[in-house]
Amino acid sequence: MPGGGRCPDCGSTELVEDSHYSQSQLVCSDCGCVVTEGVLTTTYSDEGNLREVTYSRSTGENEQVSRSQQRGLRRVRDLCRVLKLPPTFEDTAVAYYQQAYRHSGIRAARLQKKEVLVGCCVLITCRQHNWPVTMGTLCTLLYADLDAFSGTYMQIVKLLGLDVPSLCLADLVKTYCSSFKLFQPSPSVPAKYVEDKEKMLSRTQQLVELADETWLVTGRHPLPVITAATFLAWQSLRPSDRLTCSLARFCKLANVDLPYPASSRLQELLAVLLRMAEQLAWLQVLKLNKRSVVKHIGDLLQHRRTLVRKAFRDGTAETEPQEKELQEQGQGHREGLCSSLGPGPGAEVRRNAARPGLEGVPSLGARERVAYIHIPWDGLSLRLLGEWRLSPAPGLNWIHYCCRPGGASLLVWSRWHFQRHQPSEDRTWAARPCVVHRPWWVPVYGVMRSSTS
Amino acid sequence: MDADSDVALDILITNVVCVFRTRCHLNLRKIALEGANVIYKRDVGESVVDLAAYTVSYGPRCRLTRVTGGLLSLNRSEEEAKFGARRLARSLQKLGFQVIFTDFKVVNVLAVCNMPFEIRLPEFTKNNRPHASYEPELHPAVCYRIKSLRATLQIFSTGSITVTGPNVKAVATAVEQIYPFVFESRKEIL
Repeated sequence: MPGGGRCPDCGSTELVEDSHYSQSQLVCSDCGCVVTEGVLTTTYSDEGNLREVTYSRSTGENEQVSRSQQRGLRRVRDLCRVLKLPPTFEDTAVAYYQQAYRHSGIRAARLQKKEVLVGCCVLITCRQHNWPVTMGTLCTLLYADLDAFSGTYMQIVKLLGLDVPSLCLADLVKTYCSSFKLFQPSPSVPAKYVEDKEKMLSRTQQLVELADETWLVTGRHPLPVITAATFLAWQSLRPSDRLTCSLARFCKLANVDLPYPASSRLQELLAVLLRMAEQLAWLQVLKLNKRSVVKHIGDLLQHRRTLVRKAFRDGTAETEPQEKELQEQGQGHREGLCSSLGPGPGAEVRRNAARPGLEGVPSLGARERVAYIHIPWDGLSLRLLGEWRLSPAPGLNWIHYCCRPGGASLLVWSRWHFQRHQPSEDRTWAARPCVVHRPWWVPVYGVMRSSTS
Repeated sequence: MDADSDVALDILITNVVCVFRTRCHLNLRKIALEGANVIYKRDVGESVVDLAAYTVSYGPRCRLTRVTGGLLSLNRSEEEAKFGARRLARSLQKLGFQVIFTDFKVVNVLAVCNMPFEIRLPEFTKNNRPHASYEPELHPAVCYRIKSLRATLQIFSTGSITVTGPNVKAVATAVEQIYPFVFESRKEIL
């Protein structure tokens, strides 16, 4: 407060130095009269110290909730209400939206992206609470396409640094199945198509678990698998009436969209069930095909654990009797698992029957171009190509093998580990010893697969 | 696995993307009209010199795309990339441009690797939480990022892995790093 100044209007000495938009002024604090104004122009040296203030900082727009952000928050709440989520989800989703909005990339994004962001926040909240909501449902609700949704989703997960657990399949089955309108008779759904919810749910869950165990679910969109499983479950509960109904018609009856991959998933699931059916003695006689196996799904599901184990372990053993026949016929057949390597014509097969149970293993110290190895232990019979030698003494349990010239690498697969070696650089017959430790009574397994560069 | 067992996997390099400068202005129209094996893509504003039929037996499959900053060449391995780029620069020289081959740099390497086993993806993502991201609704593979190497691996359930990285060494290191994790979540042959 400078001394000796008086306000011209009211005469008080209370003059305050105030700045109005960075222009310093002397203002009387009683009447508000502006006594002196600061210099309107600055000197050259003064201008050097000035800093440009960006619009976003000077207006403070980031601290306030902008109109589009308010709109977005309202949409988040509406979406949660439409999906009938518990009230705590709403608050979490709103918090995520606000957190995302603080990043400049989101704040300056197009309105379309902000729309999709609403869905992403809701999806993240649901996933974290293990509430099954698919991206497809959110996209249809938001009228957005999946590409935009997925792009924004990946971006927001990275920006916020969130750990989003994956979709819970069991819960998804429950919600998805409940949406099928087959549990009450109606004008479009005849009585014989109506089904009890609990039975269908449990059977669908078992089928989905089966699909999971047999590698039909990994890497694929879960919804078509569940559709196919529901269809099969529904058919199997009353096969006599329902076998005539196709998958498309079923979905129309149930008032559910048919996802495009569902028909191929259905075929795959039927193939798995057929393989399992081959293990059951009383079903082998019946010679089932894809339509008739539906009738026996109940039995198959009851024993599914043992059947799956047997079917898919014996699956690899099925090649064994075929290979045995090939061996009998001689060296004509080069096909099989090692077709790409293909030894030269005139290669001989010598079998060593000196040790029972080790047929096909060449005699000790012999060099073979091609050898068939019969492994009675678990029924695999494969072919080892290339030069190889057994260890010189029968007690020692290691082998050497060499790479074939031409650059192919061989794989020796044993019970405990497998090895695969690159061909040597100079591409000669240089031996690259591969030491495989195994008990003496276990014969060597042959080549599972080879690759040509 | 035994201590002395050594697993060597085949890493097949499918693509090497590199950039080099020619230090001269290239008239795209002239290249398109007079050059051999050229596809002129007008809408993108690029001129693509395609040398796929250059030498079939040994030579690389080489494709040169002129982008505003420099020239990209796609190839099979790093040395071949450099040879291919030089070859392309030479053919441009023959067209009459004063080309100086400078600033050769390999930008991206794409490789494919096949594991002998199948991989359980949900288990794998659970064990490797921050780096691995798996959205079955969007993409069938797990996307695993190694920040230190700036490499991205896409791991499929069949066991094939696609790796992209800044150079071949990074790609090989990435595969080595991922192998133990992938081995844990493999499908056991019953």
